[in-house]
Amino acid sequence: MHSSKSIAPMNYFEKLPEGCIFEIISRTTPADAVRSTILSKGFKAAIQSDEIWERFLPTDYQEIIGRSDFPPVCNTKKELFFSMCDSPILLDGGKLSFSLDKHSGKKCFMIAPRELIISWGNRSSFWKWRKYSNSRFSEVARLVSVHWLDIRGRIGTEMLSPKTNYAAYLVFKLVDQKSYGLESANAIIRFVNYETDSETEKQANTVQLETLPQDRRIFGGNHNQQIIASGKNPKMRGDGWMEVELGDFNSKEGIDGPIEARLIEIKRLHPKGGLIVEGIEFRPKIIKYKLEADIEF
Amino acid sequence: MSSEKLLTLKTRDGEEFVLEEAMAFRSLTIKNATSNYTINNTPLPINVEINTMIKVIEYWKKHSERGISEDELMNFDKKFFKLLHNSELFDLVVAVDYLADKGLSNAACEQVLDKITGKTPQEIRDIFNINNDCTPTSLGG
Repeated sequence: MHSSKSIAPMNYFEKLPEGCIFEIISRTTPADAVRSTILSKGFKAAIQSDEIWERFLPTDYQEIIGRSDFPPVCNTKKELFFSMCDSPILLDGGKLSFSLDKHSGKKCFMIAPRELIISWGNRSSFWKWRKYSNSRFSEVARLVSVHWLDIRGRIGTEMLSPKTNYAAYLVFKLVDQKSYGLESANAIIRFVNYETDSETEKQANTVQLETLPQDRRIFGGNHNQQIIASGKNPKMRGDGWMEVELGDFNSKEGIDGPIEARLIEIKRLHPKGGLIVEGIEFRPKIIKYKLEADIEF
Repeated sequence: MSSEKLLTLKTRDGEEFVLEEAMAFRSLTIKNATSNYTINNTPLPINVEINTMIKVIEYWKKHSERGISEDELMNFDKKFFKLLHNSELFDLVVAVDYLADKGLSNAACEQVLDKITGKTPQEIRDIFNINNDCTPTSLGG
């Protein structure tokens, strides 16, 4: 790279018309675009441009913002992009929330509790509906006690970013010291127009909403049953709620109709209680790849 | 038997060459220029140098071949771009942007992207001779 001549080597990127630079950068991810600001002052200036961030925003972003009662107001498209990543907006009068995944720019949706299909949800001896200060929605669903736990959330596949790997998550909390029966449950992802309940129930995943402390596991806790310590574990989210992955799918072309994520425990009819449901979220899933050398990244 | 119309083009560095109109019209720029231009054997000037134009024509010729399979095209593209030095690749990107051929433009931009994917900032600077004029303070915000 170091020439013996005193003439500095040509900066190849400088040769490119602005449109070409935008073409190239907009094919990377938003995260890469931000990282490339450190390459040079020229790059830093180019990355601020509205043209690039317009390409990272979903093609239907204006239509989506139009469905919000409080649309974000930003000076630049870059600001708008990051605003939609960091601050979910409510759509359709609060039926669902919308945000963008910062790394890929793909669309994320969370279905509000009132829009979920909860078996026995309208019977107040089983489920109560409450305002909750930490919720993004007007109400959360609080489980008093049921034997038949069945919660479904649906979203139209046409609303999701196309050809993308998505996962569905139950977003929830457990009532401190008062939750029970939630050590193990089943989770199903179903393309509603193409698969039936009974078909998909056979292929359900196992999830845990509750991770028991070591001593309760050993001594069996309050229940006289086998506690299955397998399946997806609940994780803490950044917004103070817990989540557990219900399953994943790809929003491929040619599929129409809704995708449904479902949490059920209807095989073992022991009582369950102490669950607060914030919603079901659909967001892009990063699939980890293994290289030949078996390095995961 | 050649009933195809021919077009004479002249490059920025003064070289003249003849091309079938159908192939030349892969470039929207050329196509639009000829619609406002009476053919009286004056060559159409284009803002591309001959070395780069040769490569563009090579690409166009292959992609116009009848009966060629997707796989063969993919293999051709791989070899075609592999043989280009970085400076030649950039000359190609600029030329194709000017010529307005979406297909080749996409392919060329993807190639540039391939070269920078997974590289550290300094590696990217080295590949493209980008001068690191960022000072620590200028990186803020």
